[in-house]
Amino acid sequence: MEAANAAEVRGAHKEANFSDMISRTYAKMQLHPSYKWVLFILGLPVQLIVFLIYLNKKKRDAYSSLVEKSRKELLESGFKEELTLEYRNQLQCKQAFFDQKVDEAETIQLAEKWAEEQLQKTVIEKTETILENYGQKRITFESTFQALLLNPLFLLLTFIPGLPMYIFILLYSNPYLKYIFERLIMSIFVIIGVAFFVFTILYISPFNPAANILGETATKEQIAAFNHLYGLDQPYLTQLWNALKGIFTFDLGSSFSGNEEVAASIARKFPITLILTLIALIMAIVIAIPIGIISATKPNSFLDYTFMFIALIGLSIPNFWQGLIFILNFSIKLQWLPATFNPENWLSIIMPAVVLGTGLTASIARMTRSATLEVINEDYIITAKAKGLNQRQVLWKHAVGNAMIPVITVIGLMFGGMLGGAAVTEKVFNISGIGSYIVDKQFIPDIPSIMGGVVYVAITISLVNLFIDILYAFFDPRIRSKMKQS
Amino acid sequence: MSTILKENESFYKRHALKLSPEYTQGSFTWITTLALTVVFLLSSIDFSEKAVKPSVFGVFTAYALFTLIQMIITLKIKQDLKKLGFIRQSTRMLGYIQLLSIFTGNIFVTAFAFQLIKKKKTPEYVFAVYMLLIQFFVIAVSALNLFKPYVSDTFLPAMFVFLIIALFQLAVLFLIAKEKKGAKVAGWKPFIGIPLLLTALTGNLFALVLGWNMLMEKRNRNNPSTGKWYKVWEKIASNTTSMLGLFFIIFVFAISVCSYLTFDYGMAIENNYSAILQAPSLVYPLGTDNFGRDLFSRIVFGARISLIVGLLSTAIPFIIGGILGAISGYYGQRTDNIIMRVLDILYAIPGILLAIVIIAAFGSNTMTLVIALSVGSIPTYARTMRANVLMVSNYEYVDSARALGASNLSIIFKQVVPNSLAPMIVKATLTIGGAVIATSSLSYLGLGVEPHIPEWGNILKIGSTYLESHSYLAIYPGLAIIALVLSFNFLGDGLRDALDPKLD
Repeated sequence: MEAANAAEVRGAHKEANFSDMISRTYAKMQLHPSYKWVLFILGLPVQLIVFLIYLNKKKRDAYSSLVEKSRKELLESGFKEELTLEYRNQLQCKQAFFDQKVDEAETIQLAEKWAEEQLQKTVIEKTETILENYGQKRITFESTFQALLLNPLFLLLTFIPGLPMYIFILLYSNPYLKYIFERLIMSIFVIIGVAFFVFTILYISPFNPAANILGETATKEQIAAFNHLYGLDQPYLTQLWNALKGIFTFDLGSSFSGNEEVAASIARKFPITLILTLIALIMAIVIAIPIGIISATKPNSFLDYTFMFIALIGLSIPNFWQGLIFILNFSIKLQWLPATFNPENWLSIIMPAVVLGTGLTASIARMTRSATLEVINEDYIITAKAKGLNQRQVLWKHAVGNAMIPVITVIGLMFGGMLGGAAVTEKVFNISGIGSYIVDKQFIPDIPSIMGGVVYVAITISLVNLFIDILYAFFDPRIRSKMKQS
Repeated sequence: MSTILKENESFYKRHALKLSPEYTQGSFTWITTLALTVVFLLSSIDFSEKAVKPSVFGVFTAYALFTLIQMIITLKIKQDLKKLGFIRQSTRMLGYIQLLSIFTGNIFVTAFAFQLIKKKKTPEYVFAVYMLLIQFFVIAVSALNLFKPYVSDTFLPAMFVFLIIALFQLAVLFLIAKEKKGAKVAGWKPFIGIPLLLTALTGNLFALVLGWNMLMEKRNRNNPSTGKWYKVWEKIASNTTSMLGLFFIIFVFAISVCSYLTFDYGMAIENNYSAILQAPSLVYPLGTDNFGRDLFSRIVFGARISLIVGLLSTAIPFIIGGILGAISGYYGQRTDNIIMRVLDILYAIPGILLAIVIIAAFGSNTMTLVIALSVGSIPTYARTMRANVLMVSNYEYVDSARALGASNLSIIFKQVVPNSLAPMIVKATLTIGGAVIATSSLSYLGLGVEPHIPEWGNILKIGSTYLESHSYLAIYPGLAIIALVLSFNFLGDGLRDALDPKLD
C-alpha cells in the first residue's frame, strides 16, 4: 500500500517535473525573438486559447489602475519638478565644464525629457512593490502561458493541437538535441543556398545551351521547341522552384545532351568518386598521423626536418602533374600498374588514390605536428610528467587525444576539397566519376547536370561536416560545457 | 657579473652546434646539393642505350665537386664549434671557394657561401646578397638566348644595362659588408638609396626593399613603431628556407619583367615546323613542342600569367573577405550572423567545383578564371579576419579610440584592421601557391587560360599527350609550378614564424 502510494507520488512528481521543465524552457525561449516567433507559429491553436484566458484575467487585473494611482501620487508630491531641477543643474555644470554654449530652452527640454523617463520608471517600480506586497504579480501573456503550462491538465488537453510546439520546446530543453537540431537546420539552409546560388549563376549565363547542342544551323522554332521541352522558357522563379524540388526529390529531369536521367547518372557516377576519396582519406590518415606525432616528439631533429620538407613538397605538387609522372614511371616505364582506371582491376585504383591523397597527407601531417607540439607544451602535460608517468603514457594518454581535435576538423574540411579536387585526378586517370562528369557537362552548359553534380557533392560535404560537429558535441568536453552554458 | 658571463660563454660553447645558423644551413645545403647531384647523375646516364650524355655529366661533376667541398666545410664547422665554440676565420675563408659555385647556378651553395663569409650578418647584408644573386641569375637565364638563331632587338642594350646594374649592386654589397654598425647612419646611404630604388624597375624587389630602407633608415632610427617590422625583417633574413623561397618568387617576377626586353615572344607562340619535338639542346634549352615552339621561352612567358593570376586571385578575396570579416567581427550580432551564414553557402562548395560552375556560366578566359578562383576563397579570408577582429576589438586601444570619439569606420580601418593583418598576410602567402596550382589545373582541364597563351597548365596539357615519347614536355613545366608553389609555401612558413600570429 505504502509502496503504491510512493509510486503514485513519484509519478505525480515526475509529471509536475515535466510540466515544470516545459514551462521553464518556455520562459527561456521567450528571450530570443526568433524562437518566440517560431513558437507562436507552431502553437497557434494553443496560443489562441491562452490569449482568451489572458484577456479574461486581465479584465480583473488591478495593475493599470494601480499605475494610474501611483503616478498621480508622485505628481502631487512634486517629484517631477525636483527631478527637472536636478537634471538642469547637472546639464549646466557639464556645459560650464566643457565650455559649451547651448540654448537655454534646449537644456530645459532635455531636462524635462529625462525627468519624464525617470518618473515613468519610478511609477512602474512603485506599482510592482505594491503588487508584491499584496502577493500578486502583473499579468502578462507570457506569465499566463507559463502558469497554464505548469498545470498538467492544461498540458494534456492541449497536447494534440500544440504538438509541434511542445516538440520544439522539448528539443530546446536538451542541449544536445538543441545543438543537433540547430546544426541540421543550418545544413538544410546551406544546401538550399548552394542550390539557389549555383542555379542562379547558370541561369544568368550568357550562353545558350540550345544553340550549342542543336548547332549553328538550328532554326528559331527548333530552339524554341528545345527551350520548351526543358522548361527553359519558364520564368526564373518557376525554374528555380523546379530545380529545388528536383534536388530534394532526386528527380532532376533529363540532361540536355544524351537525354539521360540526371539523377540516375549522378547516382551511377557518385560511388566511384566516393570510394576513391575514402581510400585516399584512409591512406592519408594512416600515413600522416604517425608522421606528425613522430615529428612533434622530436622537434627540429633531422627526421622532423625531412618529414616536413617532404610534406611541403607534397603540398606543392599539382595533382595532375603527379598523376602524369606516376603514369610515366609506373605504367609506361616500369609497367607495374595500369595507366587508366578499370573497375574490374583493383590495382588500377592505387595510383589515383595516392595522387588524390598526397595533398591531404601533407596537410594532416603538418597539422598533427603543430597541434601535438602545442599540446605538449601545456601545463597538464607537465603535471602528468610530474606525476611520474613515462614519456609514452604522457604522449598517448594525455597529448595525442587532445591534439587530434583540430586535426579531425581539418580532415572534415579537407574531405570537401578532395571531393571537388577529384575532378582533376579523375580526368588524368580517365575515371568516370562525378568530377569528370561535371567537367564534361560544363562545355554545353548542361544546367541540370552541373547543378545536380555540384549540389549533391555539397550535400555530401555538409553531411560529413555535420557528422563531425555532432561527434564533437559528444566527445569534446569543452564544447559540451559551452553548449550547456548557452 | 663575471661568473654570469663565463657561464654564458660555456653555455654558448655547449650549445654552439644548435645555436649556429651556419651549421644548420651547412647541413641543409649539402643535403640539397647532394640530391641535385644525384638527379644530374641519373639524368646523365641513358639507361636504354647504356651511354653517358657528356654535357649533363659535366654538370654532374661540377655539382659533385661543390657538394664534396660543402661536406668538408660542414664537417670543419662542426669541429670548430665543438672545440672552440665559434667558427675559425680559416674555415670562413673556405666560403670564397664555394662562391664559385654561382657559375654552376647552384643557388643553395652560393647563398651558404655568402652567409659563411660574413661573421655578423645584418638583414641589409642578406638582402643585398640576394639582390645581387637575382640580378646575376636574370642575366644568366637571359644569356641563354645568345644560342638562338636570332634575338629580340632590345636584347643587347638590355643586357648591357643589366650588367651595369649588377656591377652597381656588387659595389653596394661591398659597401654594406664593410659598413661598421654604429650609432650614426652612414652618409652615403641616402645617395645610393635612390639609384638602388631605380634598379628595382627590373623587377628586382630586393633592391626596392633595400633602397627604401637606406632612404628611410635615418628617419626610422629610434622610431619605436618601426622596431617591430625591423624584427620581422631580421627573422625572415635569418631563415634560409624562406629567403630561398623569396629568392625564387622575386626571380620569377624579375624574369617576367625582363623577358619583355630580352626574350622574343615569337619563339614562344609562333609555329616553327622545321624544329618539331626537338630534344633539349643549347639552342632550345628545354626542347621544343609539337609546333616547334621553344619550351624554355614558353615557360618563361608562362611565369607572368601564373604570377598575375595567382596574385590577383589572392588579392581580390583578401580585400573583399577582409572587409566582410572585419565588419562582421566588429559589429557582431545580427550583421555577423547574416554575413557569415551567406558565406557559409560559398564555403560549402569545393573551390574547384565552384570555379568550374562560374567558368561554365561565363566562358573560359583569364578574367573569369581570376573571378572564379577569387569567389571561392572569400569565406576563408573572411573567417580569418573575423576571428582576429573579434579578439582585437576587445583591446584597450580600441576602447580608448572610442572614448576619444572616433567613428566606427575609422576605428575599424585605423585601429582594428591594421592590428589583425598578420594572420591574413600569412594566410595569403600560403594560399597563393594553392591559387597557382588551381590555375594550372583548370588550364589543364581546358577551363582556364585561353589555350593559345603559353601558361604552365596549357604547356603541360600539350606535354601530357606526348608523355610516352617526349616526357620532358610534361616534366619541365610541372617542375616550374612546383618550384613556385614550394617557394610561396616556404615564404609563408617563414612569415608565420616571424609574425607569430595566433592562427586557428
